[in-house]
Amino acid sequence: MLLEVRDLRVEFRARDGVAHAVNGVTCQVDAGETLAVLGESGSGKSVTAQTVMGILDTPPGRITGGEILFRGQDLLKLKEDERRRIRGAEMAMIFQDALSALNPVLTVGDQLGEMFVVHLGTSRKDARARAVELMDRVRIPAAAQRVRDYPHQFSGGMRQRIMIAMALALEPALVIADEPTTALDVTVQAQVMDLLAELQREYRMGLVLITHDLGVVADVADRIAVMYAGRIVESAPVHDLYKAPAHPYTRGLLDSIPRLDLKGRELYAIKGLPPSLTRIPPGCAFHPRCPMARDVCRTDPPPLYEVDEQRGSACHFWRECLDG
Amino acid sequence: MPEQPPYDSEGAVAGTGMGGAMDLAASEATTLERAPGGPEGPQGPEGPGGREDAEGAGPAAGRPRSLWSDAWRDLRRNPVFVVSALVILFLVVIAVWPSLIASGNPLTCDLARAQDGPAPGHPFGFDGQGCDVYTRTVYGARASVTVGVCATLGVALLGSVLGGLAGFFGGTWDGFLSRITDIFFAIPVVLGGLVLLSVVPGNTVWPVVGFIVLLGWPQISRIARGSVITAKQHDYVQAARALGASNSRILLRHIAPNAVAPVIVVATIALGTYIALEATLSYLGVGLKPPSVSWGIDISAASPYIRNAPHALLWPAGALAITVLAFIMLGDAVRDALDPKLR
Repeated sequence: MLLEVRDLRVEFRARDGVAHAVNGVTCQVDAGETLAVLGESGSGKSVTAQTVMGILDTPPGRITGGEILFRGQDLLKLKEDERRRIRGAEMAMIFQDALSALNPVLTVGDQLGEMFVVHLGTSRKDARARAVELMDRVRIPAAAQRVRDYPHQFSGGMRQRIMIAMALALEPALVIADEPTTALDVTVQAQVMDLLAELQREYRMGLVLITHDLGVVADVADRIAVMYAGRIVESAPVHDLYKAPAHPYTRGLLDSIPRLDLKGRELYAIKGLPPSLTRIPPGCAFHPRCPMARDVCRTDPPPLYEVDEQRGSACHFWRECLDG
Repeated sequence: MPEQPPYDSEGAVAGTGMGGAMDLAASEATTLERAPGGPEGPQGPEGPGGREDAEGAGPAAGRPRSLWSDAWRDLRRNPVFVVSALVILFLVVIAVWPSLIASGNPLTCDLARAQDGPAPGHPFGFDGQGCDVYTRTVYGARASVTVGVCATLGVALLGSVLGGLAGFFGGTWDGFLSRITDIFFAIPVVLGGLVLLSVVPGNTVWPVVGFIVLLGWPQISRIARGSVITAKQHDYVQAARALGASNSRILLRHIAPNAVAPVIVVATIALGTYIALEATLSYLGVGLKPPSVSWGIDISAASPYIRNAPHALLWPAGALAITVLAFIMLGDAVRDALDPKLR
């Protein structure tokens, strides 16, 4: 197993109390596999990703429990400089908005080359040549000329390609992409996703794709983990999940996708709002919004029940949900 | 990510008690902190490389542009910058080689000609001791420029290193440094100068420079701290960390170039005020003392005779005013050039 996260817990100390951003996340990614982490804003997706990468700001963040096993080694027990050697070289991250994730005062060549300088001690000149190669690989036209340009001289899609090139520079085993296409328009989104999927196959890396776009997920993911209020509420192979969700929240998400065959009818929406992370409801965090909620949901937090060997659902009534 | 308590951004740049020009500098720094190379970036209105997508190789890329090259191009076209830069260049030249334009000796005085008006070879007339005002005004530039440049360099280095580190690492060290700057802000500049400099022996510019650095660094330190905190929150810093860059690399390569603009601007403006401060201290008798030559000393010496010989006061005072104005205008032009939103 490439990456195994076990019962990870992260909280933030804020002025109005403690925000429980991640409450026992457990998930796995294998080499060559794509895991999509799906959830609303504030469900803890990005915090989980930052914690795995080791770039969570502490304070205000605090890791209160759990393990992050990368190739069997617990990252949370490593010293900072040991983790730094892993970051970038063995696991890398693609950020949402490439314009703000690229330094405006450095040329893209400098930033791409920095990967080689930092991790391999390559000379500046060689790093520049490698940067051109990378830009070619992510299909940026006229790479040799554009390597001297600044990020703001590229279009959004090209910038995201550069972000991808940076993340893949050292052929890491694991890449975490935090909403890599959210800032792009739809046609460019597809190109960037295709490129990412292609490079993933080529390098056989594990990909964690954080997104709230169900359409993106269906095309590229092998498995899906649905997050709600800092927990994974359902985890399943992508086709099983789309065919028959085993958690009412997943069902709600799928029902709220606009469909052509239901044109003209009112679009379904999950009622209510996601809970505040400082006041997560007792029992199952989803119960105030759940159409299937019963008394037990208000008191007993559901464990991640095993639906079959590939699937898990954190709902007391997953069987009913699965049957529709 | 949940809301975290925002950094105290108002506190990053505070009023200084250093006088109007310094407050002006500080207020301009506040607007600058958000600006240079932020997420909105220095994307010009025409947006070079704005809309080409997958296929297009983009418009002929031209030469690379950056915050600095854009700023430089703007500055060269700005008449305010050109004029003030020429004035400053002239001042620096006569500070280094005063004999280029003044052949006399500023200490050769003839009491018989005291308070005389302009005469051939002595275009500015004579002061109360019968010294040539023109020669003394030219030689006075050296003290002023030395104090201005050295004090500014010292303040900028000390302030930006301490403030930058405090802003980057935060925590206890930051709290400690912020309290120290508070203490220094509480010291009135002129009063502090009177007390501290009156006990320092010697008659060189260095005690004055040291005093200005001592009282001046907290201002730059606050500005550097504020702009480092702003730059630190940008995604590219997190991205650099995610790609395995070390703290020193992040600080020097990713944060410093994005945080240095406000420091440069405030330092340029502060330079003018430091020159005025040296004149003030010399006027009060605690800065340089005769036989040193300085505008402050000459203004001080000429002030009792302002009715009989106003020229002895007006020339050094005018030189001082022009110098201070030139530096403040330069700082203002640099500020405008480094603010992409004004472009």
